[in-house]
Amino acid sequence: MGKEQRRDPDYAFILTVLLLLGLSLIMVFSASYIISAESSRGDPYFFLRRQAVWIGLGLVGMLALSRFPYHRLRRMSPFLLLVSFILLVLVYIPGIGVEIYDARRWIGLGPITVQPAEFCKLAFMIFTAAYMSSRSIRLEKFWSSSFVPLALMGVAFFLILKQPDYGTSLLLAAATVTVIFLAGLPFKQAAGIFLVSLPAMIILAIKEPYRLQRLTSFLDPWADPGDSGHQIIQSLFALGPGHIFGVGLGRSRQKLYYLPLPHSDFIFAIIGEELGFVGAVMVLLLFFILFWRGIRIAMLAPDSFGSLLAAGITSLLAIQVMMNIAVVTGSIPVTGVTLPLISAGGSSLFFTLCGFGILLNISRHLQEVGG
Amino acid sequence: MAEKAVFQVNIKKRLYFLFAVLILMAAALVCRLAWIQIVQSEHYTRLAREQWNRSIPSRSPRGSIYDCQGRLLAGSITVDTVVAIPPQVEEPRETAALLSPLLGMDRERIYDLLTMDRSAIYLKRKVEPEISQKIRDLKLPGITFTPEGRRYYPGGRLASQLLGFVGMDQGWSGLEIYYEEKLKGREGRLLFPADVWGRQLPHETRKYVAPTEGMDLHLTIDETIQYIVERELSRAELQFQPRKAMAIAADPFTGAILAAAGIPDFDPADYEQADPDYWPLSPVTDSFEPGSTFKLVTLAAAIEEGLYNEKEGFYCTGSVNIAGHNIGCWTSAQGGHGSISFLEVVEGSCNPGFIELGHRLGKEKLFEYIRAFGYGEKTGIDYPGESGGIVFPLEQVGPLELATSSFGQGVSVTPLQQVAAVSAIANGGKFMRPYLVDEIRDPEGEVVFKQKPTQIRQVISRQTAAKVAWIMERVTQVGSGMNAAIDGYRIATKTGTAQKVGPGGAYAPGRYILSLIGFVPADDPEIVLYVAVDEVTRGPQWGSQVCAPMFKQIMQDVLVYLKIPPQEQPALPPAAMIRVPELCGLSLDQAAAAVDTRGLLLRVVGSGDTIVNQTPKAGAEVRPQTGVIVYLSDRDEPEGPEIPVPELTGFSVKEAGEVLGWLGLKLAVEGTGVAVKQEPLPGRRVEPGAVITITCDIP
Repeated sequence: MGKEQRRDPDYAFILTVLLLLGLSLIMVFSASYIISAESSRGDPYFFLRRQAVWIGLGLVGMLALSRFPYHRLRRMSPFLLLVSFILLVLVYIPGIGVEIYDARRWIGLGPITVQPAEFCKLAFMIFTAAYMSSRSIRLEKFWSSSFVPLALMGVAFFLILKQPDYGTSLLLAAATVTVIFLAGLPFKQAAGIFLVSLPAMIILAIKEPYRLQRLTSFLDPWADPGDSGHQIIQSLFALGPGHIFGVGLGRSRQKLYYLPLPHSDFIFAIIGEELGFVGAVMVLLLFFILFWRGIRIAMLAPDSFGSLLAAGITSLLAIQVMMNIAVVTGSIPVTGVTLPLISAGGSSLFFTLCGFGILLNISRHLQEVGG
Repeated sequence: MAEKAVFQVNIKKRLYFLFAVLILMAAALVCRLAWIQIVQSEHYTRLAREQWNRSIPSRSPRGSIYDCQGRLLAGSITVDTVVAIPPQVEEPRETAALLSPLLGMDRERIYDLLTMDRSAIYLKRKVEPEISQKIRDLKLPGITFTPEGRRYYPGGRLASQLLGFVGMDQGWSGLEIYYEEKLKGREGRLLFPADVWGRQLPHETRKYVAPTEGMDLHLTIDETIQYIVERELSRAELQFQPRKAMAIAADPFTGAILAAAGIPDFDPADYEQADPDYWPLSPVTDSFEPGSTFKLVTLAAAIEEGLYNEKEGFYCTGSVNIAGHNIGCWTSAQGGHGSISFLEVVEGSCNPGFIELGHRLGKEKLFEYIRAFGYGEKTGIDYPGESGGIVFPLEQVGPLELATSSFGQGVSVTPLQQVAAVSAIANGGKFMRPYLVDEIRDPEGEVVFKQKPTQIRQVISRQTAAKVAWIMERVTQVGSGMNAAIDGYRIATKTGTAQKVGPGGAYAPGRYILSLIGFVPADDPEIVLYVAVDEVTRGPQWGSQVCAPMFKQIMQDVLVYLKIPPQEQPALPPAAMIRVPELCGLSLDQAAAAVDTRGLLLRVVGSGDTIVNQTPKAGAEVRPQTGVIVYLSDRDEPEGPEIPVPELTGFSVKEAGEVLGWLGLKLAVEGTGVAVKQEPLPGRRVEPGAVITITCDIP
């Protein structure tokens, strides 16, 4: 390939991300200022400030990675994967892992806590893209090709599932399988993976009573309005009254303790309530621009590693967005994933923006269209 | 390089596929959003509003009840309800221990309430002010008070059956339940959207629905008349120890009920202790066989139809055979009334005479009048649970039913129906609907409802009504109503004695409902009054001895209260001298009947089953209302030289002299009037010829 031709990064992508981050600041503040002011912190700006800090850190990460030649990641990918496994295990080690609400998803790094699963997702995209684009593999030989990332992913899947974080582990699995599929997985193998994983997912869902409850309460939230049905009902009670143009920014009623986590998992419901159907569709549209630009970068990437990496990062984003909105609209069971870029978040936001940095770097190496 | 290009072309194809999937998923989510936010928006908004909207009820005081002169019969006072706010209770065990003796509640029960997962809960509602003050003084955290109205009856038991009572939240009986909707008003509400903790949401408006205060009832009842009536019922209860006693008074021209009561009654402040059988107002809700008072219907009908001629002769043999059944006159033991006029048929309440009148009317006519006088259907009075009584349907009326109905057997009626029917006789033939509430006023005192007297129908002509009234007046002067007579007033009455039906369906011996109905003054009536005593267990068993004095006591006081001046007695045709019947050998009941019919009074001396002597002797001619003394003797009383001293209290000097003369004793008198004291006391045995001293006084 010789010397790389450097181009401008994808400005449309950057602009859309910035728009979504701006909206995030507004909505996180709107959804959180009352409950935050009335909490023991007594500070209405707590979540706003925290979100601004993470956005700042995330943008630095994005800028840095957009200048870091992405093909160097290829060689680093086994190392990154190793680090992410170590971090995932550290979560379970007392003193390092932090337990919040009976869940071990975080490790403490001084004043901040980091969610290793978020790093793991990105590391897996890099590794899978690198592995699947290597010349040495023969895709038709499943056990020596696709099986390797699938097996590794399976280990990570269980480590994350045990935290427990069913949503993130599902997301990881779906994005990894997508990359393998894009790499040219033969349809027979794809069908085999599907047939094996579907019963596994069902068994996993039924094994833990709370997951089954989530599942059944999704089918009829009013049958069990106690807990998980409650979240869906409250979400619908936000979206419904929002109607076409919304009740007005800052005027959500449901954020006042009716809807749990109004600034994180269910922030899209608050958007739907305050900004209405129009606002909700606008947000969906902005995300769709990101999907489109991301897939475009994947298509025009100079090599298959770039292609698969861009596609993997875009898939992570797209699957998470779809999952979150599907949960908020009561279309699938509650899985517990946040809305990328918008929801108040720490490491999740940071690593999402880091991923975008890699994507932007790929966008600077695009082939001529039609070339 | 070519291989790689092929690889990338493959990726591209699959990327297109991925993009297509993403478009489909996004489109599905947009559709889903449109469904929730546009199509179903209203549905979810309505459900959500139920969750947001809080309402705080604000109660209003219950309306008051006043008598016809604005005197308070039922009002409301504000008392405290003790409320616990469990999250604020600091020491539930200690708090429960402190409250338990004050509230009279089990300690564990209070503890359970104090630790309940609720934001607020009633501990005890409507406690006495001194109790709530003591609890206030304890200053317990998490224990607070809310004011509530409690019903208060200034008259205590007065008119308790009529007014009814109020439970914790609503009227449970009487007018309190009948007029519940008017009295309670409408609960107001403060509506506002709130967060999970019930705090009002910012930027939202609150809506206040003001409570409507309850309306006040102004009754037709006159508290004073009600009090007089209840006083006499209580006296009758003590004297006769009946199963029940009741009275009802009405203004005959309007149908307004002036007083209505039954005993036993209850204390509305302590209704939990009362037997629910005594909650309803018995003159309205009890129906029973009327007996002779019902003969007024037959009489009025016969006069109206021109089938009654007071001079026409009638012969009463003591019984009459109807369709194979022997129906006796109550004088049958003495061989009947004998040859009398139809006027005397009425005065003597002769059953065969009324059977004759009923026969002349025929079943269609008689039952037409029975129904026209309001029997067999509810009057429609504004009181819950009114009974309509029972009258034979026309198709079931054979000769026997016609005969018994003519003199008041085989029908079931309420005292209220009788008052309404006799009112029609008193007021010139108009049947008026009886009522209890005269006016309903809103809290500002504006009259929102005014009951106008309602004439249902003209039952009989004015002339017929006047004629019946005149005959009833004679009953008071020379017949069974004599004990109801009040000097200076013209009083129309009719007594009744109804045998009660026992468990087997046959008449139960010795169980009577004694009654009397009448109105005053007879020529221009102000008030119709009915009194009845059910199953006297002590003292005399005759309406003339039980109900007539009650009627007289009530009327005397009511006439003074209503400031109705005495009139001169109308010149009655010179009262015929009455032949004293032969009473020797009869039982006391038979003698009472024989004496009552003729307008004589019975005085009883001694004890036993059979009359052994009488004064004056049979065949003597005496003036009406003369006392006939009968001497009872137990058959197995040993003959001896000593004579038991008779009871002389209540006897006139002349009567006492006659009694003692017959016994061979002598009389000494101190004072004038009737005997109030005697020496030696009754029952002592004295030598023949001993002197009995009586002390007399003007009654």
